[in-house]
Amino acid sequence: VKTVNLILRWIVGGMFVFAAVVKIWNVNINPAHEGANVTVTIRASAVPDLKTFADQVANYRVPPREVTNLVAMTLPWIELVAGLLLIGGIWKRASAVVISVLVVVFLIAIGQAVARGLNISCGCFGTVEGRKVGVVALAQDLVLLGITAWLAWRLED
Amino acid sequence: MWRTVQRALIIALAGTVLGLAANAVSPRRIPYLMLPQAPPKAQDTVTLSEARDLWSGGATFFLDARAPADYAAGHIAGAVSLPVEEFDDHYPQVAAMLTPNAIIVAYCDGQECDLSRQLMDKLRERGYHNIRLLVNGWTVWHTAGLPTHTGDQP
Repeated sequence: VKTVNLILRWIVGGMFVFAAVVKIWNVNINPAHEGANVTVTIRASAVPDLKTFADQVANYRVPPREVTNLVAMTLPWIELVAGLLLIGGIWKRASAVVISVLVVVFLIAIGQAVARGLNISCGCFGTVEGRKVGVVALAQDLVLLGITAWLAWRLED
Repeated sequence: MWRTVQRALIIALAGTVLGLAANAVSPRRIPYLMLPQAPPKAQDTVTLSEARDLWSGGATFFLDARAPADYAAGHIAGAVSLPVEEFDDHYPQVAAMLTPNAIIVAYCDGQECDLSRQLMDKLRERGYHNIRLLVNGWTVWHTAGLPTHTGDQP
């Protein structure tokens, strides 16, 4: 179980660090197919560039709209700190709790978007994935919540 | 238990402080508050019949601001895909087709869709001023039975 928890910690932590980095530095990953060759171009901003992510947050249309930018500014950094701590094994339980709370917030945001039939990008990993908000994203987040809740329950600080 | 909650709060606080600080020092910082969204101004929009006339005239670029998958599923015939969420990747190709005075109609889908407006803002920053929006463009266009295409080519 210890090994499993370690692997889960690395997977979840890595996922959150990745999700945070692509949002903060507005990373774009574009595979281009030319015949059998696949070239992948990765583009990122050298400095924090949150405009795109802020627009994605705004698309969820959860009022008040004014605070959208504050969410966009802080949310990826909380993901980053919690993800790094979870990987590093420092304050593991507290990090897993923070991440679980975030996943619950994501579930509510996606759930209300699905319920209202909004046709919007998930934005979960910035623009590196084309995933739309929908029942698939909802189900994936539920699985993720299962894992993070398990970690929050089993890990010790 | 209580200690975990305390630490969780410290993590959240640390992330918040870092985020605010990083944005504050970033040359690409965003404002703290997002301004409320005003409906697009009348002079920034075209009606469906105006759009149809511009389309028939043939000199107007129609730009589809939606995601590539939505574009491929169906778009205004001849419209070029410029997904605003992947703007930097697609802009160079599209820019090669445009002149600064090009007449552009941008659209997305849905009465409240903001993508075409975001596209308009980005293009205006780059010096294109002859750009207007067709609100709820894809829906009004195809429900009016006007020409459409599917696939990833215009």
